[in-house]
Amino acid sequence: MKWHWRQWATDAEQLRRLHLFGNVPLFSGLNRHQLGKLLVKFFEKRYPAGETIFREGDPGKALFVVLEGKVSIVRTADGAEKLLAVLAPGAYFGELALIDDQPRFAGARADEDTVLLILYKSHFDDLIEGQKALAIHVMENLLKTLAGYVRAEQSRGALRAAKTAAVSIAEPGAAAERTRR
Amino acid sequence: MTPEEEESDGGETASRRWFPPPPSIVWALAIAVVILIVYVASDVAVLFIFSATLAYVLNPLVRMAEGFTIRRDLAVTAIYLAIVVVLFAAAFLLLPRLSAEIDNLSSGSFTQQLDQAVDKLHREIIAEYPAAERILGVPEARNERLSALIERQTANLPNLLTHMVSIVVVIVLIPVFSYFLLRDSRKIVRLLLDRLPAVHIETSVAVWCEIDRIIGRYIRGLALDGLAIGTIAATGLWALGVNYPLLLGAFSGMANVVPYLGPFLSGTVVSVIAMIQFQSLAPLAKVLLLYLGIKFCDITMISPITVGGSVHLHPILLVASLLIGGHAFGLIGMIVAVPTVTTLQEVARLLLEHRRGRAGIRLPHHGRALPLQTYVC
Repeated sequence: MKWHWRQWATDAEQLRRLHLFGNVPLFSGLNRHQLGKLLVKFFEKRYPAGETIFREGDPGKALFVVLEGKVSIVRTADGAEKLLAVLAPGAYFGELALIDDQPRFAGARADEDTVLLILYKSHFDDLIEGQKALAIHVMENLLKTLAGYVRAEQSRGALRAAKTAAVSIAEPGAAAERTRR
Repeated sequence: MTPEEEESDGGETASRRWFPPPPSIVWALAIAVVILIVYVASDVAVLFIFSATLAYVLNPLVRMAEGFTIRRDLAVTAIYLAIVVVLFAAAFLLLPRLSAEIDNLSSGSFTQQLDQAVDKLHREIIAEYPAAERILGVPEARNERLSALIERQTANLPNLLTHMVSIVVVIVLIPVFSYFLLRDSRKIVRLLLDRLPAVHIETSVAVWCEIDRIIGRYIRGLALDGLAIGTIAATGLWALGVNYPLLLGAFSGMANVVPYLGPFLSGTVVSVIAMIQFQSLAPLAKVLLLYLGIKFCDITMISPITVGGSVHLHPILLVASLLIGGHAFGLIGMIVAVPTVTTLQEVARLLLEHRRGRAGIRLPHHGRALPLQTYVC
């Protein structure tokens, strides 16, 4: 039987995480070597089903990548919980914590037994100091994501404005009343 | 509100404040127990500190290997094997020269040489400045004082030999401890993380990350700083023709680990050696100038690059922590004082920041808020 030294020397768990990172949009464009450098900065933590990962309003300190399981992103409005997204393996959340430590806009909860990879801002700051090319790449992807949010919000705003304009043409009184309110 | 009402209200608030939440009590007790253990079993604590330090210095290499998806245990073993090979090679190349230097230093002629050198310097100073005789006294009286001092010091030698045994045991145990610490650190961290309640994990681990960053940088910086200082000192001493440049360079590099006192100590030792060798003031002045120059380069160029901004301590706090550390735990206390106090300061800052964050108070960045853009396109 032939002995495969490379297979013997490889950390299978680490390799699985590396393949997952290759499919995370935030890390797209990074080569394998850069992904490896980024990967060693992450912590791993298990969350049982139903456990809160962070609450709305908590100071943001870390970016999370889903390795296993499912995570719900929820926001409380008028006392009712609104589901914003359900994230599967390969998805990420809490990315704004890499920029500043402002309070979280929404909360996160593990829907089932979940394993998350966590990158803390201080470790990302280390990357910015030591691995500039890598950090710029991640920041570029982050900016693209943020630009996507802004555009989506702008188009929603434009849609709302168009609807208001349409209503004001059809019922001028009602539109004026709505504007006053 | 009457003063009585104010007092009763104040008293009520104070009584509410006097009951900290149970986790704080548990943490305070845990910290107190750790401090007690460290104080009582300081030998074990020293062993652990040195092992953890070695593990910290080597950790970036292990992480680099992990980045290439190499198994952690394999990477750690390979690094230790490489270190053993390098040490053997260094011993093979440098040991004959080093042992010759040590033999010469520890030979019986050393005290005689020292005596002669001090005597000659004494006479040279008095010949140059006769007024100095009133301060320094006659050479014969000084010789008696010096002999008595040397006799007192050599009387402690048997004690020193018993200490040597424990030093050798520690030197053997440190690599073993650090090997296992380095190999299993990821598992230990994962185990601790899984035990931590999820709600507090972000802040708790952010604090740990900050501590890790400060300590890691400080230790790696100090090691690099020591290496640079040792190399420069050895080269400078060799250029000045001072005996034992390798040994004194290595000593200068290691002594540099203790802030402020280390360079002073190495400078003094080297000056004594130079004094014995040259028995004249001019070469001694050259050696002192070399050490002043090295310290100047260290402060202005080497230390900012190697240790960098990892330590943000006020000079008074730094000196105070050194004194307290030295008083409580001796030399080891002085070495670990600065990173310990820096860590405590950073933890306090992060916890305060977290509390402010939960209370909804946001501090503007660098003293002023960034202006908001009125449009996005």
